[in-house]
Amino acid sequence: MKRAGSILIPRPHREDDFFIGWAKPPAVDRRFLLGAVPTIAAFSGGLGWLVANELADPGAGSWQTSSTHTVTGQLVRDPYPMIRSVDPNGNYKTTLVVAMGKCTSSLELAMAAGGVHTGTGVLIERRGRHMLEVPFDDAAWLSPAPTNVTIPDVVSEVVIESISLQGMIMDTKCFFGVMRPGRGKTHKACASLCIRGGIPPSFWAHTKDGREVVMLLTDENGNAVSTDILPFVAEAVEAEGSVVRSGDWLQFRVATSKYRLI
Amino acid sequence: MGHQYQAIQWNKGKVQYDIAIVTFAVIYIAIFMAVGLMAFATSDPIVLMIRALGTCAFLLLTFILLIGPLARISDRFKPMLYNRRHFGVFTFLVALAHFGLALTWYHGFGPLNPLVSLFLSNQSGGTFPGFPFELLGLAAFIILLLMAATSHDFWLNNLSAPVWKALHMLVYVAYGLLVIHIAAGALVTEKSPVYPVLVIAAFGLVSGLHLITGLREAKNDALLNKMEAKSWVSVAAPNDIPDKRAVIVPLPGGERVAVFRDGKKISAVTNVCRHQNGPLGEGRIIDGCVTCPWHGWQYRMEDGISPPPFTEKIATYNLKMMNGMVFLNPDANAPGTYVDPLVIGQTAEQRS
Ligand code: FES
Repeated sequence: MKRAGSILIPRPHREDDFFIGWAKPPAVDRRFLLGAVPTIAAFSGGLGWLVANELADPGAGSWQTSSTHTVTGQLVRDPYPMIRSVDPNGNYKTTLVVAMGKCTSSLELAMAAGGVHTGTGVLIERRGRHMLEVPFDDAAWLSPAPTNVTIPDVVSEVVIESISLQGMIMDTKCFFGVMRPGRGKTHKACASLCIRGGIPPSFWAHTKDGREVVMLLTDENGNAVSTDILPFVAEAVEAEGSVVRSGDWLQFRVATSKYRLI
Repeated sequence: MGHQYQAIQWNKGKVQYDIAIVTFAVIYIAIFMAVGLMAFATSDPIVLMIRALGTCAFLLLTFILLIGPLARISDRFKPMLYNRRHFGVFTFLVALAHFGLALTWYHGFGPLNPLVSLFLSNQSGGTFPGFPFELLGLAAFIILLLMAATSHDFWLNNLSAPVWKALHMLVYVAYGLLVIHIAAGALVTEKSPVYPVLVIAAFGLVSGLHLITGLREAKNDALLNKMEAKSWVSVAAPNDIPDKRAVIVPLPGGERVAVFRDGKKISAVTNVCRHQNGPLGEGRIIDGCVTCPWHGWQYRMEDGISPPPFTEKIATYNLKMMNGMVFLNPDANAPGTYVDPLVIGQTAEQRS
């Protein structure tokens, strides 16, 4: 558009140079579009490549939905459902138990807790740590174990009386492989929903030399955490509590008042 | 021209246009998924798809918002303007898929209703990195939903053009919300510097082009509005109006009038198309009718009425010839009022 005195003169176009939706486009438009369409297509593909290629490593972990996994051991209900077994060398092996979906607190377990059972479900595995995903109904996944299996009781021992650690509260199910990545801001809502639903939280920290430490998170008395910790889930936090060894897992026992966002 | 409503209006050009947009989106998503799955063995296809769809919807919306100013800069982009409505509805569908999948995957299967979880599950609102970015996405989604739902001409006519236009201007609000949705969500999770660069580039391009074209027009209008209002506004010498085309006269009140010449005849109508406010003065005379450059609606020059069977009406203006110049009466006639065209070379006496 050009200004001339008190009027505006629209940019001139040649006779065949005027696009109307319902008519055949003029040659110059057709030529332009013939060039533009492949260019935009290539641009779209290039952007798809660039954006996907820059994604960070989703992290270790797997959710082995195509097979079932069986584990025999003592069924423990607190602080979180788990099956504790012992290998031939006498080492404890903990398999956390979660329900399908995000509602583990509705698992029944009432009758079976304390006894030795065989559980069958879907294995979720991260760096040698195991979790079993099972249906809500006990009968659908628990069966009596062979009578000769005995599991010695675990003796918990305090490793560190009081320590302040920086790390992140993870919902262990997604973290161990159900969602990859199962961390970060975009996963925060899901993590908090899982923990609200009773999925065991873990505390994910790194030592000075970069080794990762994953500890089961409980309240200061070793019981399941309350929903008061939800605002701290999936954020960088500093927490102060005690570290307790219980079988092959470390527990980080923290009072709700001892979390701080950093 | 829209006195009959069809569910969706398609013609060959629109079908080609639609195929092109869907193809661009499919190419983007397919390559995104392939690269994402190959990059890491543990990549989760559902999480990848959520991201592919979300970024794709943002990309499409960026394209849509660029078309407007680009078409003001070069006529070559006008064909892209023509079917922007289908483009918008398709973008909404991609956003819907992103919303549905993210809602199911991150908020479903849990102890709360997914929609409740959307509001409750991200609880550290006070800080920027903690800001519940999901809600911004939801707000933008609702705007796109409203726009898609009212995109049909039926709504344009029933809501009246200004209300419809205002509603559809909310797309800029939606775009702003999405930029923050991405900045407070994905950009906090993903650390690659490429992402902020891309988002800033997209946002900068959209706002920059709008600013440039907007300023250019504002400057023109401001200069012209300084010229005081007279009862009759001088337009141009008849032959300075290009044949089959128009010059545009901005009036002090902000309206614009298109003064068309078709051979020896000169007539004036409003510059605003009844359809979607397209700039009629940038159109042409085809078969004796003023033809809108946007979607080709037509109006007879002398009375502003669409040729039968259509019945759309636009305002006409009175003209007179004085000292070899065309003058315009700035008071609009009621839409559809017949006005004798000025005929070049005819004196006032001959006309009456
Ligand atoms: S605005 Fe659509 S035809 Fe004029």
